[in-house]
Amino acid sequence: MLAEAPVTHTEFLEQVEAYALGALEPDQARAMAAHLAEAGTHPECEAALRRAQETVAALASDLSPVQPPAGVWQAIASSVSAAPEPAARERRRRPVPGWVYGLAAAALLLLVLGFLRYQAVSSSEAMAKAAAAQCARELADAHVDLLRKEDALKLLVEPGTQVVSLARQAAAAPNQTGTGVVLYHPRGRALLIGQRFPADPTRDYELWIIRDGPPVAAGLVPSSPDGQVLTDFRPELLAGGRPAAFAISVEKKGGSTTGKPDTVILVGALGPR
Amino acid sequence: MSAHGGEDSVLVQGVARGESSALEALYRRHSPRLYALLLRMLGQGADAEEILQESFVDVWKRASEYRPTRGAVEAWLITIARSRAIDRLRSRGARLRLVREREQQAPDVAVTPEPPDVHAHTRLRRALDALPVEQRRALELAYWDGLSQREISEQTGDPLGTVKTRVRLGLQRLADLLAG
Repeated sequence: MLAEAPVTHTEFLEQVEAYALGALEPDQARAMAAHLAEAGTHPECEAALRRAQETVAALASDLSPVQPPAGVWQAIASSVSAAPEPAARERRRRPVPGWVYGLAAAALLLLVLGFLRYQAVSSSEAMAKAAAAQCARELADAHVDLLRKEDALKLLVEPGTQVVSLARQAAAAPNQTGTGVVLYHPRGRALLIGQRFPADPTRDYELWIIRDGPPVAAGLVPSSPDGQVLTDFRPELLAGGRPAAFAISVEKKGGSTTGKPDTVILVGALGPR
Repeated sequence: MSAHGGEDSVLVQGVARGESSALEALYRRHSPRLYALLLRMLGQGADAEEILQESFVDVWKRASEYRPTRGAVEAWLITIARSRAIDRLRSRGARLRLVREREQQAPDVAVTPEPPDVHAHTRLRRALDALPVEQRRALELAYWDGLSQREISEQTGDPLGTVKTRVRLGLQRLADLLAG
């Protein structure tokens, strides 16, 4: 490759591993970055980069984490308070009092409840009502939680989003009472909103995407003390086209080791648009 | 990969909107592993702390550039931190000599380590052990010492084309082994 010469699609794929490792010369790396900047039409390049970057990240997975000195975060906080606003900030934000988050949480939940009622998903309504009280307490406690639920609401009201109710399957044991809905958007996002997925030291719940072939594992459902869940299906698996359905199975701790679901307890079909 | 991939994406969106609390949550979640990585690459001293700080300031400025289709947040953070660490290593100069010297010394001992992810450790070790020695060596020189392919060629005496092939095939094979 010539210095800073434009990189072709083929050249990008030939060098993507070295690029992800940081093993190219600076001019080569700049040329790769320039190609990537216009690679919106090259999903193959993005997929190759994703695979390479995640493999590179895995090389650090056996390091024992080390807590950095407290002064590092203090220095970061000072820097960002003095730094220019992030490029995508939509507007300047003033400090928000804590009670505003409580009100926002209540408004969010009312909107979710209203939306589900509008959808006439009666089984989800009871779930959402039960979730409301619990969510309000959580959202008051943690700003991170608020961000996640704000995100869910944005997805819920985004044009094109479909709400997929998950139906309980006969194979579900009486104590496997988890239920929920999946918010699906064709741009490649699927978010599970669930409840009654209690932490179990011996078992995990696993997400599955179903198309024409065998189900594809799409991540574990994170456990939480209250059994409530907001979690994404793995986005790279949604790039392969519109799913026919979503499912949740019960697996041994750590998830399926066979590539197939063990006991499927919830399934929801994605209807036509 | 982090078990909190979906939450991480939401936090990055919060950072892009200018939410410093989202940045702090990302920092609390990922800084111990990033700091361990930087200590391993840069050694003890102020460099690792400085690069960690610079990396998260970078995240603050560039959060809107994050694309989930190009990888998980954890991989994105590692890319940012490694890129800055490699720049720092290259600015030190005489790097090939330092690499040779370091290879003759005992490995650094991390300070106050937290328990490692034993499952990930075993899986990675098994995968690395399955690679041909030359491929593994090329990956390690690039990953931990920040050597470019040209520098690896100079270090090992192998032709540049051979090094390129080893890097490419080595990482592809490692990806297959870790996925299997």
